[in-house]
Amino acid sequence: MAERTLSGIGVTPLSGVGKVVWYRPDADLPEPPAPEDVDADAELARFDEARSDAEDELQTERARTAERVGEEEAAVFDAHVQFLNDPQITDGVTDAIEGGLPAEHAVQETFTGFVEQFESMGGRMGERADDLRDIRDRLVRVISDSERVDLSSLPKGSVVVAERLTPSDTAQLDPKRVAGFVTVTGGRTSHAAIFARSLALPAIVGVGEELESVEDGTEVVVDGDAGNLVVNPGDDTKAAAAAEADVHVRSGPVETADGVGIEVAANVGTLADLEPAVDRGGDGIGLFRSEFLFLDRESPPDEDEQFEAYVDALESFEHGRVVVRTLDIGGDKPVPYLDLPEEENPFLGERGIRRSLGPDASLFETQIRALLRAAGSTDGTRLSVMLPLVTTLEELHEARERFESVASDLAEEGLTHEMPEFGIMIETPAAAFMADRFAPHVDFFSIGTNDLAQYVMAAERGNERVSELGDYRQPAVLHAIDATVSAADGHDCWVGMCGEMAGDPDLTELLVGLGLDELSMSAVTVPHVKAAVTETDTAEAEALAAKVLAADTKDEVTNLLTTDQ
Amino acid sequence: MERIVTVVPEDGLHARPASKFVETANEYDADVQLGRADSDDLAPAASMLAVTGLGVSAGEDVRLVAEGDDAEAVLDALEDILSTPEAEH
Repeated sequence: MAERTLSGIGVTPLSGVGKVVWYRPDADLPEPPAPEDVDADAELARFDEARSDAEDELQTERARTAERVGEEEAAVFDAHVQFLNDPQITDGVTDAIEGGLPAEHAVQETFTGFVEQFESMGGRMGERADDLRDIRDRLVRVISDSERVDLSSLPKGSVVVAERLTPSDTAQLDPKRVAGFVTVTGGRTSHAAIFARSLALPAIVGVGEELESVEDGTEVVVDGDAGNLVVNPGDDTKAAAAAEADVHVRSGPVETADGVGIEVAANVGTLADLEPAVDRGGDGIGLFRSEFLFLDRESPPDEDEQFEAYVDALESFEHGRVVVRTLDIGGDKPVPYLDLPEEENPFLGERGIRRSLGPDASLFETQIRALLRAAGSTDGTRLSVMLPLVTTLEELHEARERFESVASDLAEEGLTHEMPEFGIMIETPAAAFMADRFAPHVDFFSIGTNDLAQYVMAAERGNERVSELGDYRQPAVLHAIDATVSAADGHDCWVGMCGEMAGDPDLTELLVGLGLDELSMSAVTVPHVKAAVTETDTAEAEALAAKVLAADTKDEVTNLLTTDQ
Repeated sequence: MERIVTVVPEDGLHARPASKFVETANEYDADVQLGRADSDDLAPAASMLAVTGLGVSAGEDVRLVAEGDDAEAVLDALEDILSTPEAEH
């Protein structure tokens, strides 16, 4: 078979070689096999297993609904469980399986029969038809699930290929078994791409429909740097990919060729990110997304649990700074116990610091207590705290007052604590415009380029139709960054960057030239950015930055970045 | 053992009353069937599909037929459900 190459958007500067495993979570049912090929006993077992799994799901959803909505609404799940175990239905499905249908087809056929029967009766029966359809779809999904590709236990060296991967799909991927992933859709800043970077997985997104032509089991090279998927690679291609997989990890601090130190840190979004942050040579943590401590659980972490987590992060590094961002949660991240109101536009709603300063003060207070105590611990001098989505000075002052009042509570209680270094994220146009007013009041700025680009350009990051607009190479975004760095000049205020932009080694020279002191990124690109820093000359970098700031369009910016290197 | 009961819950034998009814019928050993009081057709009370499939509305009379050791107990329990307005459950 001849080697051929498909191109997409590379999201990790890593290469991997492996065999394609197609992941199709919501495919239509295929044609059933011939009845004589169906093993009725095995199919009956699949059906029973699916029924019990579906019932477990329903019970979980019932409990969640009872807690979040009310007992009345939760009762519908009782009815669903009863339909699920209804003797007429189980008999019907059993008969269909014994008649030669696989479990999912038997379920489909049996339920559809009852759905039609109920529909024809009209009135209240129509609602029951909806219930039955709902249960049918759940069962079919659960049955197919049991034989669907299980992302957590793939054969070693699998390259997962899919239309798209949701965050929960990527969360299941075991980086030790997966050689990479490739998707039909998606952009550089899609959640799957960010996840690939934090897991250090070679990945390409946005390959397009052509990807469908690559069959299961085909050998491929995933070149996440160039964004190339090489199908049926020759030996030379494979060897080159293997060589590239060997990056040089620098564990100490780095400086530019002319001796300017640049802190290169890692972003941490789960506890599992701590190890790669150290292994890939991160100088510290430039963004500790504390909200992950609050997600996927039934109640918020208490003060001691948070304290332990912050201390663990500090202890992972011998010297490095750990910048904890306070809880950044909005209506787009469902946290059942927080009872977040549904908002028409959660990205412009009560999120970040707005929520922390909102009516429920206890959650923020607990976090502040844990942070102040962690700052007073053995390694606490290396702890920094930053506030997300700040837009006004009042927010900064109010938050600082909360920190001070909690500190005096702790003093009264005789608990060891310290005031950590205190900074804000610059991720809104408001913060960038007002950076000169913020600078005297903070120890540092950290520019969150994902949100900054989104809010400056009014372009949603996940939306491919506007992803060109939301690109951090847009002149308007670069000017917002420049304004922020300039505003900090002359104040005792360092400036860092913690978006995906910071992890793009093609932009390192520009960022050094713009005057950034610290860059924090997914652990995977730390070695690449460190390498880029050592090759940078600050005078040349400043000249490049001046030219780039003079550019009118993103294309001009891109040209300058490629010709000057 | 047989009993005629008037259905009180506003929803009739749908939604929560039906769900409760089927759940209760399944808790006993006795075999329970039900149908409209004016009809000879009976359906298994342990089947949600059959119970809701009858389409019984509030105010209708239904016939409950139970056979087994705890027939009386199950009829008492089911009668209680059918003759109690929904809000009291």
